[in-house]
Amino acid sequence: MAASPDAAATQNIREVTEMVASRKLYSAGFITDIEADKVPPGLSEDVIRLISAKKDEPEWLLNFRLKAYRRWLTMTEPEWANVHYAKVDYQSISYYSQPKSMKDGPKSLDEVDPKLLETYKKLGIPLREQEMLAGVQNVAVDVVFDSVSVGTTFKKKLAEAGVIFCPLSEAVKTHPELVKKYLGSVVPFADNFYAALNTAVFTEGSFVYIPKGTRCPMELSTYFRINERNTGQFERTLIIADEGSHVSYLEGCTAPQRDENQLHAAVVELVALDDAEIKYSTVQNWYPGDEEGRGGIYNFVTKRGDCRGPRSKISWTQVETGSAITWKYPSCILRGDDSVGEFYSVALTNHRQQADTGTKMIHVGKRTKSTIVSKGIAAGRGQQSYRGLVRMLDSAEGARNYTQCDSLLIGDQCGAHTFPYTEVRNPSATLEHEATTSKISDDQLFYCRARGIGEEEAVSMIVNGFCKDVFKELPMEFAVEAQKLLAVSLEGAVG
Amino acid sequence: MSELASTWADRFEQWVSSHDAAEQARRRRQFQRFAATGFPGPADEAWHYTDLAAQADAGYQLAGADVAGAEEASTPIAALPGCALLVYRNGVLDRAASSAAAFDGPALAASAAAGSDDDGTQDDGGIDALNAAYASGGLVYTVAAGQRAAQQLQVVLQSQAGDTPLMSHQRHRIVLGAQAEATVLLQFVGHGGPRLTTHVIEVTLAAGARLHLHRLSSETTGATLLTRLDARLDRDAQLHLSGVAVGGGLGRHRADVRLDGSGAELHATSLQVPASGAHVDDLVRVVHAAPHGTSRIVARGIVDAHAKAIFNGRVVVRPGAQKTDSEQRLANLLLSRKAEVNAKPDLEIHADDVKCAHGATVGQLDAVALAYLRSRGIPQAEARALLLRAFATETLERLGWPALQALIAERLGLPADELDLAFGDAE
Repeated sequence: MAASPDAAATQNIREVTEMVASRKLYSAGFITDIEADKVPPGLSEDVIRLISAKKDEPEWLLNFRLKAYRRWLTMTEPEWANVHYAKVDYQSISYYSQPKSMKDGPKSLDEVDPKLLETYKKLGIPLREQEMLAGVQNVAVDVVFDSVSVGTTFKKKLAEAGVIFCPLSEAVKTHPELVKKYLGSVVPFADNFYAALNTAVFTEGSFVYIPKGTRCPMELSTYFRINERNTGQFERTLIIADEGSHVSYLEGCTAPQRDENQLHAAVVELVALDDAEIKYSTVQNWYPGDEEGRGGIYNFVTKRGDCRGPRSKISWTQVETGSAITWKYPSCILRGDDSVGEFYSVALTNHRQQADTGTKMIHVGKRTKSTIVSKGIAAGRGQQSYRGLVRMLDSAEGARNYTQCDSLLIGDQCGAHTFPYTEVRNPSATLEHEATTSKISDDQLFYCRARGIGEEEAVSMIVNGFCKDVFKELPMEFAVEAQKLLAVSLEGAVG
Repeated sequence: MSELASTWADRFEQWVSSHDAAEQARRRRQFQRFAATGFPGPADEAWHYTDLAAQADAGYQLAGADVAGAEEASTPIAALPGCALLVYRNGVLDRAASSAAAFDGPALAASAAAGSDDDGTQDDGGIDALNAAYASGGLVYTVAAGQRAAQQLQVVLQSQAGDTPLMSHQRHRIVLGAQAEATVLLQFVGHGGPRLTTHVIEVTLAAGARLHLHRLSSETTGATLLTRLDARLDRDAQLHLSGVAVGGGLGRHRADVRLDGSGAELHATSLQVPASGAHVDDLVRVVHAAPHGTSRIVARGIVDAHAKAIFNGRVVVRPGAQKTDSEQRLANLLLSRKAEVNAKPDLEIHADDVKCAHGATVGQLDAVALAYLRSRGIPQAEARALLLRAFATETLERLGWPALQALIAERLGLPADELDLAFGDAE
């Protein structure tokens, strides 16, 4: 070993930090030139059969896809969200793409296309380094490049603990009973327009199973990346925490710069059984389009967690700075008695980004608790909406909810909106909702400026302070990245 | 949206043919607009919690003067002291029941033609179109610039039906000149079989005008009461709006207030105490279209038995409406397992130098406060009433009209005079 593990870990964090901080424009906006094995654009039952065949899927899964597709055909695209964009032409999207040189699947990282590794290096995901620093970094990365997983590290250590962490397509083959039991059990195949589309054509994603009483020995992490021009990415993630287990999952995203809009319609399903705990953290930094709103990712995601067992807990933490259009409501169904749902969110829209994001907390079980802390920042011509639902069913005896959603406005061209739905049917339930909207305090700004801090830096400091309640919920690696990301995303918003 | 049965069109054609050609064309256009959408339901975001689809098949007949004359069935009208009184029964002015004072002065025309064709009102799930198609006119109240109305105006709007389902649709207008002041109470009462009533109230306040507009709805089972207020406020005008819903039936009340002039103010107060089986849905939407506007929305609900209460406050700050100061406070007491509360305080903000806050709570009576009162010898029922009254008082006190406060308190079973507690006399 060249350096001590600690020093190497610090070094790694510094490199990532510098990488993020140094980008002026969108520095992740490069295109890797890899020949892709791609299905021609368009969607039909044939395409779905083709995807299924390419993945060598069992028949039940194909039928599941076809059922979703047939229902999708009868559904209409939702328009209630407070976002405006050019409609997606679903027939112009290619629903499957796989880097050609990887058709047979790499046996080890050495077999991975060097260009691919270079891409990640530019992104600051030092796969090799992380493999080398195994015991130190404690982060396993299941990297998704377009639609096929290229490398999974730390498998061995996880296997020792009995944790299953693999691409979903692999889990279908190795653990069909688990996949069959849980897939689509939290987000039904016809849940909404985008979820149905995803169910029909999903190509890749992660599968996590934590056995009874196990505390996952490291934080699990997947880096997503959309590459090949005009391929919508349809991720499907399934995480199951069995009785008394604990897992923390990190999801981070970057995408190359494009002029055309790209669609991302992912589905994430979490299942927490008795006493289990799942912590799901996201830093989303997809290409937001340029200053005039050209290009950028459409991010239409369905994320839902099901607290099935008593005393289970699901916690969503998200930092959303990317994407041209965001439509995302990570939700919790609090079914088990005494189960807990949490949602911590920082969403930033700059330039012409639009975000309609929030959460749903459905209280079913007795004494269920939920906490929502949402911080929205709108700058430039960005439009920011918080849309949240808290529903207490009549069975939710003694349930409690606390919601706080604050918005910060930077500049007079942006907008910040709040649409909190509260529905209570149990008289012993308690619900509190607080929200404020204001601009950056002139007093705070003046205080910083008077002490010799530049305007941009001062704004960044104040924004970070505004988001502190959420950042403190993030795992350490993400917290550092998130702060820098906010600073970078806010560049050009003031002065 | 439900497909509207052809009987609606047939009945409309039959009725509209008695009008002159221009009027026919105008009303027909509105009816077609209504027929295109039908009655609204949950698919319409503004009607998320109130589904009127069943109304389409209720078989409503348009109420005429003959039905209105059913004197024996009329509810007695309680006139508030010192008020001018106007009484409408099923959309027709009852001159005998109205006080003469209401007709004094040039300011008040007792009935008016239906609202103009392009009144610029925002589409509201087809209901405004239905109202415009059938509108039979109503109150037109004008106060000239610099004038202060001598009396408060109490308008009683009564709906009644027998075995035949009836409907009536009215349009009202209140116009205050610069610096004018007035107080108006719209009181909705009714009884009998199924009935559908829609009211559109247009309010225009010139610079510095002040209007206190109160709505007290105490309808009963069988009623479907839909009201719609459209207000435009010029510079420094003030609208003090109150809406109190007690009693039964289905009530949906939408207020759209636009602060067009700088420094305009809206103070909206709402109290919902629906009876068992009632459904009350309030939507207050204020648009800050000019800088330095102020809006306050304070809503309280006491929801018991089989009742359902919905309150949607929506504050919109348009680009350029800087220095807006807005606050929404929604609080609800949910007292029964069969009851339901839906509160939705929305904000839509397009300007940065603003102060906007909102809060919403749903809970029950404070067990500690209840225990405290009981430990001081106050029986459970009285202690509960005391706490409920305290909860409702915050909104009632804002009305600034003691006689009206007393009337509402009485309807709520929360008498305004001190509770009669026999301290020390208990055995």
